[in-house]
Amino acid sequence: MSIFTGFNASASALTAQRLRMDVVSSNLANSHTTRATVNAQGEYEPYRRKLVHMTPTKSFKSFLQRATDSNDVTQGVRVQRIVTDQTPFKMVYRPEHPDANENGYVEMPNIDPLKEMVDLMSATRSYEANITALNASKGMLMKTLEIGK
Amino acid sequence: MIYGKTFEALGKSLDYAIRRNDQIAANVANVDTPNYKAKDIAFKDILNEKLGSSLPAKRTHEKHLPFHTETHTYRTFKKKNLQYNHNGNNVDIDKEMANLAKNQIYYQGLVDRINGKFTDLQTVIRGGR
Repeated sequence: MSIFTGFNASASALTAQRLRMDVVSSNLANSHTTRATVNAQGEYEPYRRKLVHMTPTKSFKSFLQRATDSNDVTQGVRVQRIVTDQTPFKMVYRPEHPDANENGYVEMPNIDPLKEMVDLMSATRSYEANITALNASKGMLMKTLEIGK
Repeated sequence: MIYGKTFEALGKSLDYAIRRNDQIAANVANVDTPNYKAKDIAFKDILNEKLGSSLPAKRTHEKHLPFHTETHTYRTFKKKNLQYNHNGNNVDIDKEMANLAKNQIYYQGLVDRINGKFTDLQTVIRGGR
């Protein structure tokens, strides 16, 4: 175990939370995108909400340490994948829209700005908590250098 | 022996505090991870006392090598029986942050004490001057 274990765990979380914020930004930016992808029928599909999937880091090293050492290893976090929200699209009545169907309804992305804002705030707070943890680790290591001065 | 037992005790405590800081950092890092269970560190000998799992071995001569060559005095345990969030994650962020602050003060106190011991030794080496 290195002395920077705590640093690495906090740093991995900072990366993950930042990615989460980026995904939220992408969702908000595309909240009115009606032509994001082309489906199998060759028709345009609106943007689908994206979500991050986080897991504790599992490297070969962590498995080896767990097998050889009785002490459980400290784990960071990583984004395993970005998944799409499969909830149905919102139907909005806008007959003048170029992507409206024969009844005048437009399929809009399944994005709820409220959910995105809550997610954004949660990511921000987690980021701040990890900054605090990182500063604590740094403070302790700096204090270590003072031993015997 | 000029160092005595205090240095050893302080050293082990420093070791424990660093390890605990790492674990708290990991818990905070995984605050949004589904199904992650929070972990904490406990002093191993205290835990062993409670569990009664330590096997004492007597040395018949003081120059024999000690049986106990373990370097770690702490042990990690998982907090399994707590549910804090609906996604199976049980990290209590407020508790973790409080523990982080507590651990920092504890560590600084230990460093302060170890420095105090070194100053004492220096005073003795200089003959009180």
